[in-house]
Parts: sequence; C-alpha cells; structure tokens
Amino acid sequence: MDQFGLLLDGFAGALTPGHLLWALVGVTIGTAVGVLPGIGPALTVAMLLPITFRLDPASALIMFAGIYYGGMYGGSTTSILLNTPGESASMISALEGNKMARAGRAAAALATAAIGSFVAGTIGTVALTFIAPALSGFATSFGPPEYVALMAVSFVTVSALLGPSLLKGAASLLVGLTVGLVGIDSQTGQPRLVFGIDSLLDGIDVVIVVVALFALSEAFQHLLAGTGHSTVQPLRERAILSKEDLRRSWPSWLRGTALGFPIGSLPAGGAEVPTFLSYSMEKRFTKHPEEFGKGAIEGVAGPEAANNAAAAGVLVPLLTIGLPTSATAAVILTAFQSYGLQPGPQLFSESGPLVWTLIASLYVGNVMLLVLNLPLARLWAKLLTIPSYGIYAGVLVFATLGTYAAGGTTVDLLVLCALGLLGLLMREAGIPVAPAIVGLILGPLAEQQLRRALTLSEGDPSILVSGPITIVLWIVVVLALLAPVARRWFRSRRRAATADSAR
Amino acid sequence: MSGVTEVKPVEHTGEGEQEDRRTVLASAVFGGLMLVAAVLVVVDAVRLPETSAVVGPAAVPLPIGVLLGAVGAGLLVRARTRLGEAPAGPERPTHGGLRVCGMVATLVAFALLLPVVGYVVSSAALFAVAAILLGAPRATPMIASGWTLAAVIFLVFDRLIGLTLPTGPWGF
Repeated sequence: MDQFGLLLDGFAGALTPGHLLWALVGVTIGTAVGVLPGIGPALTVAMLLPITFRLDPASALIMFAGIYYGGMYGGSTTSILLNTPGESASMISALEGNKMARAGRAAAALATAAIGSFVAGTIGTVALTFIAPALSGFATSFGPPEYVALMAVSFVTVSALLGPSLLKGAASLLVGLTVGLVGIDSQTGQPRLVFGIDSLLDGIDVVIVVVALFALSEAFQHLLAGTGHSTVQPLRERAILSKEDLRRSWPSWLRGTALGFPIGSLPAGGAEVPTFLSYSMEKRFTKHPEEFGKGAIEGVAGPEAANNAAAAGVLVPLLTIGLPTSATAAVILTAFQSYGLQPGPQLFSESGPLVWTLIASLYVGNVMLLVLNLPLARLWAKLLTIPSYGIYAGVLVFATLGTYAAGGTTVDLLVLCALGLLGLLMREAGIPVAPAIVGLILGPLAEQQLRRALTLSEGDPSILVSGPITIVLWIVVVLALLAPVARRWFRSRRRAATADSAR
Repeated sequence: MSGVTEVKPVEHTGEGEQEDRRTVLASAVFGGLMLVAAVLVVVDAVRLPETSAVVGPAAVPLPIGVLLGAVGAGLLVRARTRLGEAPAGPERPTHGGLRVCGMVATLVAFALLLPVVGYVVSSAALFAVAAILLGAPRATPMIASGWTLAAVIFLVFDRLIGLTLPTGPWGF
C-alpha cells in the first residue's frame, strides 16, 4: 500500500486553503464555461489554459483538474436541458436526458447525471490511483520500438473510432500530423514547412489549433447556418433523486463505470465507445424498455457514468505512457508540458509529489462538483438563456485571448483565423476534428521515437517488430484497420439476408 | 404505433448515413486541399538538405505527404461517386458566406490593430462586430457588453494574473 501513503501526502498538498481555493475556482469556471452550448471539455480546457500559465505548477494543475472535471459536468447539463451536446461523448445523455427534460423530469435527469458522474469519477480516480503507478513501472521497460507501435495503435483507433468513416478520420489525423511538422526539426535543426515566416519556426501552438478547430469553426458555422432558436427546457424543482429514481439509477452507474474505466484506459482512442456501449447495455438490462427513446433514467445514468469513468481512465495512458487518446487528453498533455512536466513512465518517479497532489485534487474536485452542482443546477441553467450571439462573440474574445497568451504575435492570430476556416470546411464535410488534435500532439512524439528506434538499429526497420509487445501491438493495428471493412461486409450480408427472407 | 420512434445511436454514427449535397461538395474541396498540401509537404521535404543522421528530417514528412495525396484523392473519388445521388441539404439563410467573410475580415483587422490600439478597444470592437454579425438585434447593448467584458478581462489577466496584454497609446 505504498500508493496509499503517497496519496495521503497528495491530499496534504491538495487540502491547503490556497489549493482548495484554486480547485474551487477551477471547478466553477470549468462548469460555467462547459455549460455554454457547443463548448465541450477539450475547448473549455484549451481556452482556460492561459489562465493557469502564471500560477506555480501545483496550483495550476489543481485548478486545471477542476476545469477538466467541471467542463465535463457542465457539458452534461447542456445536453440535458438544450439538446446540443458539446462533444460526441455526451451525445447519448442528450438523447435520453433531453427527452426526460421535455417530459418535465429535468431535475431528475440532472441529478442522476451529477451523482452518476460523481460515483463514476470517484471509482475511476480510485482505480487510477492503484493502476497508474503499477503501469508506469511496467512502461519503464518500453523502448522506442514499443512507443512507435503504441502510437500507431492510437493513430489507427482514433481515426477509425472518432468519426463517421476511416477515410474521414484519416483525413483529419493527417491534418494534425501535417500541422505538427511545421517548425524546426528538433533533431537536425532544419526548418520544415515554414515558408520563410519566422514566427512559424517554433511550430504552431496546440492551444491555437484546438481553439481554431473547435471554437472558431463553431462560430463560423453559426454565421453560415444562422444560429437558430433552441429551446431551453425549464428546470422547476431542485435537482434531487426520488427513491424510485435512485433505485433505478445506481446499477446503471456501476455498469457504466465498469465499462467506462477499462475502455478509457486502453491506449486506444475514445471516450465515445463506452458511452455507446453503456447505452445499448442499459437498453438490454432495463425493466422499462418501453421508456427508452422517450426519456429513460437508466439511459442517462449509465452513459453519464461511463463518460466520466472513461475521462478518469484516459488519464491512465496519459500519465503513465504519455499517450493522449482523446482531444481533451491531448490538451492536458500540452498543459503538462507548459508547466515543464513530461507525462510518461518517469513522471511518477521524477515529479511524484506533484502528480499525487493532482490525483488527490481530482477527488476533491469531484466532491466540490457534487456539492456545487445539485444546489446550483438552476443557476447553470440560467446561463443557457444567454442568447447565442452573445455566447459566440464572447467565445471569439476568449479564443483570441488564449491565442495571444499562447503565441503573442499577429501571425498567431492570422494562423488562428486560417485554421478556423479549415475547421469550418471540416465541419461542413463531416470530418471529425478530434483525430487532428491527437495527431498534432502524437505526431512529433511518434517521429522522435521512430527516429530514435531507427538510429539504435542503424536504419534497420526490423527493430520495430523486435519484441513480443510490439508484435501484438502491430497485430492490433492491422485488426483495427480491417474492422470497418469487416463491419461493412457483415452489414451488407445481413441486409442481403433480410432481403432474401423478405422475398 | 409507439414502437416506431426507436432510437439507434450506434447505427446513426455508422457509415451508412446518407450525406447531403453540401457535405459531399465540402469533402471534395477538402480532398482537393489535401492534394495541394501533399505537393507542398513533399516539395518542402525534398528540398531539405542531407544530414549525417541515420534518419534525416525528410524521413517522416515524405510518407505523410504521400498519405495526404492518397487520402485526398480518396475523398475526391468518393465525393465524385456520391454526388449524383446526394439529396439537397436543409435550406440555409442567405448571405451566410458573406457574414463569414465579414467575420474573417474582422479577425484579420483585430490581429493587425491589436498592437496599435491596445487590448480593450480591439476586443470590445471584436465582440460587438461578432455579435452583430451573429444576429444581435441591437448594436448598443453589444457595444456596452463588449466594453465590459474586455475591461474585466484586462483587469483580471493583465493586472491580477500578470499576463501582459498589449496596450494602446492610452494605457489600456
């Protein structure tokens, strides 16, 4: 129980009045921004990252953890009351939750989402506490070939899972990889894709890309399509669960957590998968199948829990291997780097106290969110009545502020604008944005490991498949590439079979 | 009839979804852009000098360039085959494209004017113009909100947190 003592030390660090204050500030701002429609956790975290730049690393990380979990909670409030999920992982909660809200059960939906997130977040954080150090011990044995194979797994799964098709996912991933090439090559000092512009020599900051692809493209799309009028479902009562609702919710919370954490902690992309799986599971297990599609509380409780457990799970590969598997995790990795920390196997040994303080503040943040969300649900719901032109004008102001804080030059702002237009085109074409963010972060890391591996072997590529771990990982890559093809084949066969039997 | 409104979230995100004409055209444009980018990346990589390292700086950009070309071509071909049967998308309000151009012009002006007139004035103007372009019914409240937001951000970030924001000749 070595971790236990370290965790207690972490709590001692997190529970100082100053740190508690930062956690509270982070949780509040995170929820408030996350509630705004169209703003998911990744964007919340990216836009608010500059706020934390000037704090000492411990306070910054604590505030940051609060923003992350707060953004997740805020997002579910929006999907339930407004039916505009900020990211695909909360799509399911919008599905059943908004139906519940329309049936006048908004309070119950919000309560089951908030308590479910708390339960899942807490169990997920406990699991993280015990799994992460063990895994990071295992990961210290990884050499460059293992890293290359792991990153290949992430690349393929992220593009295959985070979008409508592998081709579009790959297109998005390549956008990220290409943007990641810009700047001076760290190993040879050669400028790449700079075109003689000095400000590009340092590369394009991740914050700028995230803000452009998520925030600017959203604002541009509203200009193009007209903002429309979405109706906010009123919240009349206090967010409390009745006994009956609680009885129906808790098995779903636990099932959602059981799906979310393990799948989230795989070094393969996506918090979306467990939420979808949890929804179909709840639909299968429910005693009230007639309510599904019309506002079943299990359909909110399970996916919400799965989403939050996966969010804790995503931190496992991030902290132990340095491998982000979602857009949000990619932004968190950038945050770590900006505080001078490099997530990976050495993180626990080199910056142990800081990491344990972070993990402890995840517990603290979760409790704060529960306390903050149930009584304040009405206040958050009020934020939704801000007209959308006001929200997106404000988003633009914060987007430019974040960009200026990250880069600080006119060129950065012009790059922001250009990438925003690219993001608009991607939205119009139905190309997902998240793979681009993961590609942008992982691309340079993968290149570094690949070149390290090939330098070790003096150019012999067989080093990439030299160990049992790498061989297994490359098999996973091939399977993930074949999966969509196989799925399509099965589907067309099934369709042909039903057509045959109909005849 | 109550069983008709069954929801199938997993299938909705699958590949079988019918894309409308606008989506198909946009993915064709995106494919075209990827082809252009492929050429740029490959030309840039080829021009990089040889180094003594086992794996030079061009080793990774070259395959990325090739993949950009391949996926871009794939998108174009797919768009070509789907264009015929793609249904027309939902109606869009007129002048949407113009409003986007207006927003881009505003952002460029913001980028250029920020070092000259300072953070508060340029951000207040950015907020007001953006809100009006996005459909705010009256301009005056937006200008007032823009001023308030920009001033609060300046006070919190520049004075409290210490993130140095550009100032105009009047000191804010």
